[in-house]
Amino acid sequence: MNLSDSTLDHLRRVVALPDLSGTRYELECEIGRGGMGVVYAARDRVLDRRVALKVLDFTPAGEAQLIAALEHPAIVPVYEAGTLPDGREFYAMKLIRGARLDHYVAGQPTLAERLRLIWRVGEALAYAHSHGIIHRDLKPQNVMVGEFGEVYLMDWGVNAIAGTPAFRAPEVLLDQRSDIYALGALLRFLLPEPNPPALGAIADKAMSADPAARYPEVPAVLADMERFEQGLAIEAWPEPLWHRLRRFASRNALLLWLLAAYTFAKFLIFFLRKF
Amino acid sequence: MDADTAIGGHGDHFPSTHLSLLEATTSGLSSEALDRVITIYWKPVYRFIRLKFHKNNEDAKDLTQGFFATALERDFFTRFDPEKASFRTYLRMAVERFAANQHAAANRQKRGGDTEFETVGEQAVPADSPEQVFEREWQRQLFCLALDDLRAHSEECGKQLQFRIFQAYDLAEGERPSYAELADQHGVPESSVTNYLAWARRMLRGFVTERIRGTTAGRRELRDEMRRV
Repeated sequence: MNLSDSTLDHLRRVVALPDLSGTRYELECEIGRGGMGVVYAARDRVLDRRVALKVLDFTPAGEAQLIAALEHPAIVPVYEAGTLPDGREFYAMKLIRGARLDHYVAGQPTLAERLRLIWRVGEALAYAHSHGIIHRDLKPQNVMVGEFGEVYLMDWGVNAIAGTPAFRAPEVLLDQRSDIYALGALLRFLLPEPNPPALGAIADKAMSADPAARYPEVPAVLADMERFEQGLAIEAWPEPLWHRLRRFASRNALLLWLLAAYTFAKFLIFFLRKF
Repeated sequence: MDADTAIGGHGDHFPSTHLSLLEATTSGLSSEALDRVITIYWKPVYRFIRLKFHKNNEDAKDLTQGFFATALERDFFTRFDPEKASFRTYLRMAVERFAANQHAAANRQKRGGDTEFETVGEQAVPADSPEQVFEREWQRQLFCLALDDLRAHSEECGKQLQFRIFQAYDLAEGERPSYAELADQHGVPESSVTNYLAWARRMLRGFVTERIRGTTAGRRELRDEMRRV
């Protein structure tokens, strides 16, 4: 048998497509590739709605069960899991309409919006960590921003070698602090240039090479971000005096303006009386 | 460039000398496992040597055969460490080193003697690099073998019709017939054409997986190799 290049390419394509015969789904198109498999858009014929269908490369990785155990607004709900006739495991989940974070950021959102996104991701991570689950592959490509501004954290890694270089912590064995490293890298990615030094310091602390030097848990990162938003000193940064004064002035602007007005009025009265 | 060899390709099995060479090996691998490796990799290695070192058909065949013979003698296959690279990469790099040494040795001989250099002017320059050709041949070989498996399996379980429909559609060169045309030609409903094709593709995927499994070290490598296919 002689296979031409075009026939070989055709065969490679058709054997890679999931065999959905006997299932309730109709294949539409490929929409992404994750650490453990390929995600397709498909139509659920029974409920007449579009879904995302993740077909895993090999063996049940427990990914569907892992995600299904997490009920959180920022974690995509799993509808069903099963085995295709070709032996591959799959699971169906909500099809998110929106933009990947790296594409969303290209639209130049405000700093407040960027911080909101990180906040939502952090909340989902903190929730997962409280259930003993770590993400392992947090990066902009795994965060979706929905049509209504909702944020979803996708592609929960169950593979021990997961991770994308720029967002992967240097340690070999990944744990919750490795996710904190990735959250810091995500914050660094989202910060506009020039970035507020305090936020840069939060990202740096989260991305410390030594896991022990990072924030101990995700809520500590969020707490520091909240302190920044409230104009308070943050844990990650020994603030210079001039910066502290500027922050004080910024937080107490009204009081300082009143004080200045009062002082000016006193001077004015003093001079009017004199002359 | 002269035509490629027919050895080791497209469903033909290797000359018995290769098999006996395998059986004579003292490596820890079973001869069946080695047979699987050589069945898949003989042609990619041969094509890689031809392109990378501009060898003619006979020289490339000799070098390919020499490579596998040396690899067996020196327990090359048993020294593979799956932590460092995939078996395919490990093998290709070893072929490159082996052929480069042989090439250099041959050139030294030529410089000291009266042998004339071969002209390479008429050799066609391929669009792909030798490494890409190696990978492509590996894929081609895998599919050829898996198609043989599928054909044999179809005959064994009386599904020749399914295979014929698959052959008419998925192996068609040029324009593919429509499902309706296939249904008419074979006297089956159109829905059966869909089902037969799904069955054949499913089985083909299974056979490709099995063939790769025979030359990979574990689940992770198998998964990575399947992705490359």
